[in-house]
Amino acid sequence: MSVTKMQDKLAVNKYDIDNDVHILIDEDICSRCEHHRCIYACPADCYTLENEHITYSYEGCLECGSCRIACDKGSVKWILPRPGFGVCFVYG
Amino acid sequence: MNIIVCIKQIMDPEIPTGKFKIDPEANRVIPSEGIPPVINPFDAQAIEVALRLKEANGANVTAITVGGQDVEDVVRYAISMGVDEGILVSDEAFKALNSFVTAFILSRAISRIGQYDLILCGRQAADRDAGHVGLMLGEMLNLPIITMAKAVTLSSDKFRVEHVITEGYQVYEVGMPALITISDEIGPPRRPSGWGVIAAAMGKEIPTWSAQDIGVNLSDVDIKSVRSETIRLFIPDSRRKGEVIQGNNVAEASANLMARLRADGII
Amino acid sequence: MVEFDAIIVGAGPAGCACAYTLAKQQLKVLLIERGKFAGSKNMWGGALYGPVLGDLSPEFLKEAPIERYVKRRILSLLSEESYFSLESAVNNESPDVPQDGAIILRAKFDRWFAEKARKAGAILANGVQVEDLLWKDGSIVGVKVGKDEIHGSVVVACDGVNSILAQKAGLKAELNPVGVKQGVKEVIKLPLETIEQRFNIQGNEGIAWEFLGKCTRGLPGGGFIYTNKDSLSVGVVVQLNALLENKVKANDLLEDFKRQPVVARLIDGGTLVEYSSHLIPTYGVSSTSRLFSDRFLITGDAAGLVLGTGLILEGANFAIASGIAAAKAIVRAKETGDFSAKALSHYQRLLEDNFVLKDFKTFKKMTHVLENPRLYSTYPDLVCSLWHKIHTNDGNPRKSVRQLLKEELKGRVSWWQLARDLIHMGGSL
Ligand SMILES: Cc1cc2nc3c(=O)[nH]c(=O)nc-3n(C[C@H](O)[C@H](O)[C@H](O)COP(=O)(O)OP(=O)(O)OC[C@H]3O[C@@H](n4cnc5c(N)ncnc54)[C@H](O)[C@@H]3O)c2cc1C
Repeated sequence: MSVTKMQDKLAVNKYDIDNDVHILIDEDICSRCEHHRCIYACPADCYTLENEHITYSYEGCLECGSCRIACDKGSVKWILPRPGFGVCFVYG
Repeated sequence: MNIIVCIKQIMDPEIPTGKFKIDPEANRVIPSEGIPPVINPFDAQAIEVALRLKEANGANVTAITVGGQDVEDVVRYAISMGVDEGILVSDEAFKALNSFVTAFILSRAISRIGQYDLILCGRQAADRDAGHVGLMLGEMLNLPIITMAKAVTLSSDKFRVEHVITEGYQVYEVGMPALITISDEIGPPRRPSGWGVIAAAMGKEIPTWSAQDIGVNLSDVDIKSVRSETIRLFIPDSRRKGEVIQGNNVAEASANLMARLRADGII
Repeated sequence: MVEFDAIIVGAGPAGCACAYTLAKQQLKVLLIERGKFAGSKNMWGGALYGPVLGDLSPEFLKEAPIERYVKRRILSLLSEESYFSLESAVNNESPDVPQDGAIILRAKFDRWFAEKARKAGAILANGVQVEDLLWKDGSIVGVKVGKDEIHGSVVVACDGVNSILAQKAGLKAELNPVGVKQGVKEVIKLPLETIEQRFNIQGNEGIAWEFLGKCTRGLPGGGFIYTNKDSLSVGVVVQLNALLENKVKANDLLEDFKRQPVVARLIDGGTLVEYSSHLIPTYGVSSTSRLFSDRFLITGDAAGLVLGTGLILEGANFAIASGIAAAKAIVRAKETGDFSAKALSHYQRLLEDNFVLKDFKTFKKMTHVLENPRLYSTYPDLVCSLWHKIHTNDGNPRKSVRQLLKEELKGRVSWWQLARDLIHMGGSL
């Protein structure tokens, strides 16, 4: 098996994507952050650095909760998605 | 007022594309391992309409489904949304049904319920998108039918129904009893509340009616008279690409399209 | 108003075991799960060790959706060039005793387990999320679900590592990246025959294979492969803080791991069918941890009951055992109608008396040793290289093991350090 790109990995998972976002960040805080720990915390690459700016998506979230405790600047607000939404593991 | 909503469970439409598999020989979709079925979203919208009518005018709402042994969850889901009663019409014989036979079974089961003022169905099932059952059922029960409703209200014993057409909608009035199919313009249905789910889980046994209970003998049904047959089931070639031909107005866009088709040698 | 004897939040192993036990005792139990079915939010390695499942009901061992039983357990130390393995095998013909470990996929197992609790009489509410505890006059009286308030004599937090409830009740501090590990895993489908062939197993035999060293680039953690029926669970587990400090993504380590020749050969030709991740609470419980308060108990991952240090990763067995202990304490409290902290403290006594907290004491010293970074980089390299050299015959007379070891240690670790590490390791066993 060759290297699998993140988007291809997430594409095999079953998700029920909500229109309500369950991740929020404070861009002001992120713009002053020196280490962007969220990038290395997230196993689904939900956080990316583009032109010095953190952008994020919530659709591929695996709901591990790492970003919530990794962010030491108080920017990331991660909560559980609404019940019935989010990732649905069928193997686990 | 007694309202009956016909509901159906379908394979979850949110299956990851790579996991959607069909058996082309048998012309059937292979259920994806471990992904539970869901309520047909259009049927959830029919339930929503029933619940709005109930909230506005008071009503007893019954959800009914036909299927094998594994369809109880869909009825529980309806109850967790706020439906008062559920009925499961379930028999080993009812596994692979076409629209006509389903409508026939439903008509018998509904006749057994007896008293009703309104029957609601989703506009179609989101798996095959046929939209036959509602119409056939209305016909079998000899009821006035209005399809594709985007709003249903009650005023002085008549339903006022907004029926969706291409350019907008038409308004109909119909007396009781009637059969109405609900279109997705009705908007997203409510999601069950936490207490709704708990109450549904605590609720009484859901009555299950067998073929015998409703006096149906499938060998009596003239299945051959139903000329609905799946000729070929296939997954379309996804390599096809789409392109939008632009233009400042319809005429210009059409001219651009013609030019493009000629250039590509298609015409 | 409906009042439950117990509201159990979370239908993982802890919650299901607790709800099942209470329902069997005719208590009025509500089991709440946020996933659309139990297990749909859960992932792990993994294998269930010990007799806990059979303790609940001997039939469970026959009925539970178990992929395979661990026939062989392998620990491999990975270096750049090679790997060194220790292997232990169960010698009985068909290893169907779960003490040896039952390999399980959680989406199937938890769903089955919750259904068992339901059939025993628990009310199972799937797709419901508890947002907060419900308080009255300073005492917990139930839970909040959206706008709804659900009342119960006691609330059991079985809501896993990210437990909201344990924090709201004031029994747990916020998690921090040092105290948790992150696991990422792929489930890779392969034909059953291919798996049997590649791993030399048959029937219900399975393999639990752990890796240390190169697979985490020396960060504290490891890699794993478990054989399911017709798929493999392949993953890595690394301390979250180490990922952050070293600016490494767990998924990159997983990709590295999959490229290791020994692993690449095993997964060759497979199809990825799921990618998942989850945190593991490895901060450990100490004797001062309190797992109960008035009308409230915490179990399993919510309580931090996981042994998760390098060589050992066990939590589901502790979760089940703690769920059962919680249930026993609640049954007792129900008899006297006293759900106070004093009455419920019986729960923690039960944990201290059975293997749960005893194991934590036993492994406490070990935890220290396993935090030694040399265990994940220097030593795997050293062992592999030494072993290789001992066995290499390049035509020249071979050096003594002592001489080889001396050369290997050079520049990597001092004799003094090695001796200290060995003494520590010995002392921790
Ligand atoms: C990568 C990895 C490998 C592992 N390998 C092994 C192994 O091989 N062997 C082993 O024994 N252990 C292993 N573990 C540990 C084991 O998985 C856990 O210790 C165990 O699952 C804990 O069970 P639990 O019931 O306490 O929590 P969980 O299994 O986490 O269950 C918690 C449940 O609560 C639900 N929930 C959470 N919040 C709410 C809420 N607010 N409302 C309603 N429901 C909620 C969740 O959806 C979930 O179903 C591994 C863990 C990981 C991450």
